Amino acid sequence: MKTENKDNVCEEQVFGAIFKANSKTVFNYIYYKFGNEEKAYDAVQEAFMKLWENCGKVSPVKAKSYVYTVANNLYLNVIKAEKIRLKYADRSLKATNESPEFLMEESEFKEKLDRALNSLPDNQRTTFLLNRIDGKKYAEIAEMEGLSVKAIEKRMHLALKSLREKIDGI
Amino acid sequence: MQENYLAKWLNGELTETELAEFKNSDEYATYAQILEASKALESPEFDADKALTAIKNRQTLNDSKVVQLHPFKKFIRVAAAAAIIMFGAYFYLNTLDEKYVTDYAESREILLPDNSEVVLNADSQITFSERNWKDSRNVKLNGEAFFKVAKGKQFTVETDAGTVAVLGTQFNVTQREGLFEIVCFEGLVSVTYNKKMTKLPAGNSFRVIDGRIIATQEQSSLSPSWLNKESSFKSVPLKYVLEEFERQHDIQVETKNIDIDQLFTGTFSNTDRELALKSISTPSQIKFKLEGTKVLFYGE
Repeated sequence: MKTENKDNVCEEQVFGAIFKANSKTVFNYIYYKFGNEEKAYDAVQEAFMKLWENCGKVSPVKAKSYVYTVANNLYLNVIKAEKIRLKYADRSLKATNESPEFLMEESEFKEKLDRALNSLPDNQRTTFLLNRIDGKKYAEIAEMEGLSVKAIEKRMHLALKSLREKIDGI
Repeated sequence: MQENYLAKWLNGELTETELAEFKNSDEYATYAQILEASKALESPEFDADKALTAIKNRQTLNDSKVVQLHPFKKFIRVAAAAAIIMFGAYFYLNTLDEKYVTDYAESREILLPDNSEVVLNADSQITFSERNWKDSRNVKLNGEAFFKVAKGKQFTVETDAGTVAVLGTQFNVTQREGLFEIVCFEGLVSVTYNKKMTKLPAGNSFRVIDGRIIATQEQSSLSPSWLNKESSFKSVPLKYVLEEFERQHDIQVETKNIDIDQLFTGTFSNTDRELALKSISTPSQIKFKLEGTKVLFYGE
C-alpha cells in the first residue's frame, strides 16, 4: 500500500513529506530574493497550495522543482506588480559571535558583508546564500532555478567576486 | 586559473597548484574572510509544522468551497448554447408548416397568405406551408372547412379521402370518418377521389359515404349552413348527424335501440342545444335524455 501511495502527491502523507523536506528551502529561496519574511511565507503557502491543487498531475519526483518554479514565478510576478526591488537589507541576517574579542572586528566585517550582499543582484545573492546557509550543492540550486550547474557556478563566482570587491572597496 | 574558480574553490574542486596560486593572490584574504563570516549567516526562523497546518486549513476551506472558475465564461457558454438552440428552433419552426386547429364547439376563420379565406368548422385542422405558398397553394385538411379561394394558381385541398383542386372559387370540404363531401358554391372544383377526377360546377356537391359515391345533387344555398351557425343535412346517415352534433355542442352522444344508418334530412342549430336536440329527434322519431355532458338518444 505504501509504495502505491508514494506515487501520488494527493496522499496526505506524501504531501506532508514533500512539504517537510522542501518548505524551509522554498522559504529561504524567496527570502534571499525578497529579503521579506512575510512574502517568503506567502510564497511557501502559495507554492504548496498550487502543488496540492495539481497533486494529480505532478509526480512526487517532479514535485520539488514544481514548487520552486511556482515560488519563483510568484516572486517574479510580485516584482513586476510592485515595480520595486525589495531591500534585502532591511532585516539583516543574524550572526552569532563567538567571543567578545572578535566582536568589534567581526561585527564590522559582518556589516560590510551584509551591505555587500544587499547590493548583489537577487540571483547571485540567492545562489550564494543557498549554498552558504542551506548547504545546497550547485546541482541542487541548478535544479531549483532550472539552470545548468555551470550557470550556477558562474553566479557563485560572480557573487564572490563582487562581494570581495565591495568589501575591499574597489 | 579555470573558469569560475571561485565557485570551484568553495566546492573544494581546485587542483593543488591552483589552490596554491589562489592562496598567494592579494584577494585571497578577503575571500577567506567572506567564507568565514558567511558561516555565521542565518536565515530567519521558519516553522514548517505551522505552515503545513495553515495549508491544510486552507485546503479544507478550498475543498468545501464551490469552485467557481470564471462564472462569466460559464454564462457565455450557456448563452451561446441557448442562442444556438434558439436559432435552430427558429429555422426549424420556420420550415414547419402553419397549423390551425379547432376544438369541439369552435369554428375559426383563417386568412391564407394570398388572402384566400378558410373557415374551419368544429374539431378540424388545416396545415399549409407559408414558405412554399407562392409555389404551391396547398392545404391539408382534416375535418370540415369552407374555402373562399382568391384567383390565382391552382389551389389544392388534400385530405386523407381525396384531393380537391380549384383555381378560384368557394367550396366546402367535409372529410370525416366515412364521410367525404365537397360542395361547390362558386366557380369550378375538381375532386379527385380514388384516382378518379370529378368536375364539380357551382351549385353541385360530391359526396362519398362509407366508400360509396352518392350522385351529385343540386345545392341551393350560397354558403354552407354551418357558417350561419346551423348544420344542414340532406339524406345523410344519422350517425354522421349525431357525430356532427357531438362536435358542434361538445357533448357525448350515446344511442340505444335506434337505427343510426337511417337517412336524415334537416338542420340543427349549432348554438341552441335544446333546439338542436329537438331538431334531430323529432323528424327521426326518437327520444333523448340529457345528462350533464352526455346525451342518450333512444328508441322505444
